[in-house]
Amino acid sequence: MTPILELKNITKAFGPVKVLTGVNFDLRPGEVHALMGENGAGKSTMIRIAAGDHRAEEGEIRLDGDVRRFAGPREAQAEGIIVVHQELLLFPALSVAENVFLGHQPKTAAGLVDWGRMRREARDLLDRLDCPNLDVDQKVSRLSVADRQRVEIARALSRNARVLIMDEPTAALAEADVKRLLEVVRRLRSEGVAIVYVSHRMNEIFEIADRVTVLRDGVSVGTKPIAEVTEASLVSMMVGRDIHQLFPKEDIPRGEKRLELRSVSLAGVVEDISFDLHAGEILGIAGLVGSGRTELAQTIFGVTPATSGEILIDGKPQKIASVREAIDAGIAYVPEDRGTHGIIRAQPLRENVSMAILDRLTKFSVVDTGREQSLASDAIKRFSIRARDARQRVGQLSGGNQQKVVLAKWLATDPKILILDEPTRGVDVGAKTEIHRLMGDLAKKGLAILMISSELPEVLGMSDRVLVMREGRLSAIVDRKDASPAAVGAAMMQGRREPARAGAAR
Amino acid sequence: MTAMTRILIRHEFILGILFVIVLFAMASQNDRFLTTANLLNQARLMTEVGLIAIPMTFVIVTGGIDLSVGSILGLCAILLGVFWQNLGLPLPAAIGLSLAAGTAAGFANGLIVTRFRVPPLIATLATLALYRGLAEGISQARSVRGYPDWFAVLGRGDFLGIPTQLWLFALVAAVGIFVLRFTTFGRTTYAIGNNEAAAEFSGLPVVRTKLLIYTASGFISALAAIVFVSRVSTTRSDMGSGIELEVITAVVLGGTSIFGGRGMVIGTLIGLCLMQILQNGLSLSGVRGDGTTVVIGAVLIVAVLISNLLSRFSSD
Repeated sequence: MTPILELKNITKAFGPVKVLTGVNFDLRPGEVHALMGENGAGKSTMIRIAAGDHRAEEGEIRLDGDVRRFAGPREAQAEGIIVVHQELLLFPALSVAENVFLGHQPKTAAGLVDWGRMRREARDLLDRLDCPNLDVDQKVSRLSVADRQRVEIARALSRNARVLIMDEPTAALAEADVKRLLEVVRRLRSEGVAIVYVSHRMNEIFEIADRVTVLRDGVSVGTKPIAEVTEASLVSMMVGRDIHQLFPKEDIPRGEKRLELRSVSLAGVVEDISFDLHAGEILGIAGLVGSGRTELAQTIFGVTPATSGEILIDGKPQKIASVREAIDAGIAYVPEDRGTHGIIRAQPLRENVSMAILDRLTKFSVVDTGREQSLASDAIKRFSIRARDARQRVGQLSGGNQQKVVLAKWLATDPKILILDEPTRGVDVGAKTEIHRLMGDLAKKGLAILMISSELPEVLGMSDRVLVMREGRLSAIVDRKDASPAAVGAAMMQGRREPARAGAAR
Repeated sequence: MTAMTRILIRHEFILGILFVIVLFAMASQNDRFLTTANLLNQARLMTEVGLIAIPMTFVIVTGGIDLSVGSILGLCAILLGVFWQNLGLPLPAAIGLSLAAGTAAGFANGLIVTRFRVPPLIATLATLALYRGLAEGISQARSVRGYPDWFAVLGRGDFLGIPTQLWLFALVAAVGIFVLRFTTFGRTTYAIGNNEAAAEFSGLPVVRTKLLIYTASGFISALAAIVFVSRVSTTRSDMGSGIELEVITAVVLGGTSIFGGRGMVIGTLIGLCLMQILQNGLSLSGVRGDGTTVVIGAVLIVAVLISNLLSRFSSD
């Protein structure tokens, strides 16, 4: 059978960073082809190339066996290659029908929008997706995440999708909605639509996929029929090594108790969290997106102060009502969203590194630029930040180096407790290893580290204990020796019945 | 790129060159222009706008705007007259109270912007109407005249051969340059303008800084009101109306980004002088007032265009 879509020997680089090297991928009509790989493995880039968003430097794209070059996403869409993005690209203020047909509304003879036909056709598409309860006149802003996703899929179908690329479609869905989504995927497959299904979730892959391709560090490791792989073999294909070898975790004796939470809550977001964190310990926090991990971290850090419960530092109750108080209490927080909360792109490296300790670098409130400069130079050396000099604007650095700037900024505060929220997200493999090694060194020096991560291998590989969160609550604390993907995964997922709340899903 | 080229393509430097060109162009047009007497008189005339432009630079660097400065000026001018003439207070006390009122008006702006999170454009647009309305209500369209001679020294007198209010302006400008350039407060101001959330996450006192900046804006507007009243020795409720646009023009012409995060007090000063000599030079050459406005608008656009064009060549 001729593949409907084929990528051959694709190579793509962004500046000096090679993202894909000689990647091959083929998609047959009426199959669900799973695409797997760690964050940063090159999945998103590959999807973008297939959808005409990016152009590959080398290699070719074949559609129905013919070599094609897409000048832009519109050309790919015209051929029926449609992407359903992870972050749904809908217009909240418009109705369901308007969203479905945005950009290709049916027109009347006079050239005006044919509202009747548009609503009718939107209705038909939604029925095809088995959602008869979704009102085509409803504003999208009022829909749940799951319903928005259906609208997005309907939108893809309205463009006569032959190739549907779904980028982590279940990342923000509750269990019941995942089941319904898989049902929709099966239905589309039986209609002959070819589907690329990107997901981290093993059980979905085994339930739905016909074949699976694994990417690692921009190289395709292999394509196999689903019957020939097991969960373990997929993980080792993705990671390349045994998890515990990949992470330079050292055994560090547990020191005294640094941080203790006693039934801390942030009304409506984080409920009744109690745990303790010791010097020299790395405590991982696992949980799905929207489980309240980041919200918990920001509560400890005083961004959104706790509404009830007690936080103890070194055994003494500590009121943390603001970020300033948290910093003064010895807490540092490396945020999840680096661009928004971590760095100031337009300002030089040295001003970023000194930002959290400006008050300590001053004499009569005048900034001591000499000390600031030496602080920045030391940081560049210590973290091997690849920057021209301390005056370079942080926005010009790569993701990994930006992350090191954020780490340098927070370690400059000389914290006792370090909270790392997705410390290696959007960071290349080399910098990732450096960051992991740094975490080990810091723990050895007696820092207490709280690490949030969406990458299960990272959580399992780096943590002494794993705290699992689910729907704003603590669902389990697992010791390193018992922490298997299955045990932690089960604690993340179990009992998920409620649909994901819009607020919690952010 | 060397440090030298970095300085050469700065907006402030280009503006300085533009200033010199305009200065010579105007001087060659008219021999009454480049005289000490004329230049000092022009400096006297620009002091009120100049004073307010200093805190306005801070406001715009945070990414905000303060449209109410002209109304605060009007309100404080009226209050000065009312306190002195209608309530019979001694003039120094009236000045003190008027300054306090302006400070309070600025503080109110700051509260609306920080506590209630109203966008500065909307908040100060509302207080622009509010403070002007108050000024008109209090004055009942009466003007106050007959200020004592000693008071006129501030607005019309000289000290060491230089207009008195220019010393005051120099002091405020020097404080502005120092605070924005060298202190943690200035650093916080830039951080807020570039990325307010990151500033908050770094434990910087975002709310306090913004509150102080809007309060200072109110205080300096009141100070400008005192200078204004002294210079024209009368108070009317429409004083300072529209001055906010001149102030903002000077600041933006001076290279401060209206989106925040970028700008220097020194740029504002050059922008201010450029505007003033354009106005003066053109009117001396017989160009009518509306013609002058057109030229200033054109200069603003050209300055911003050149600066944008050059910043594309520089990687930082």
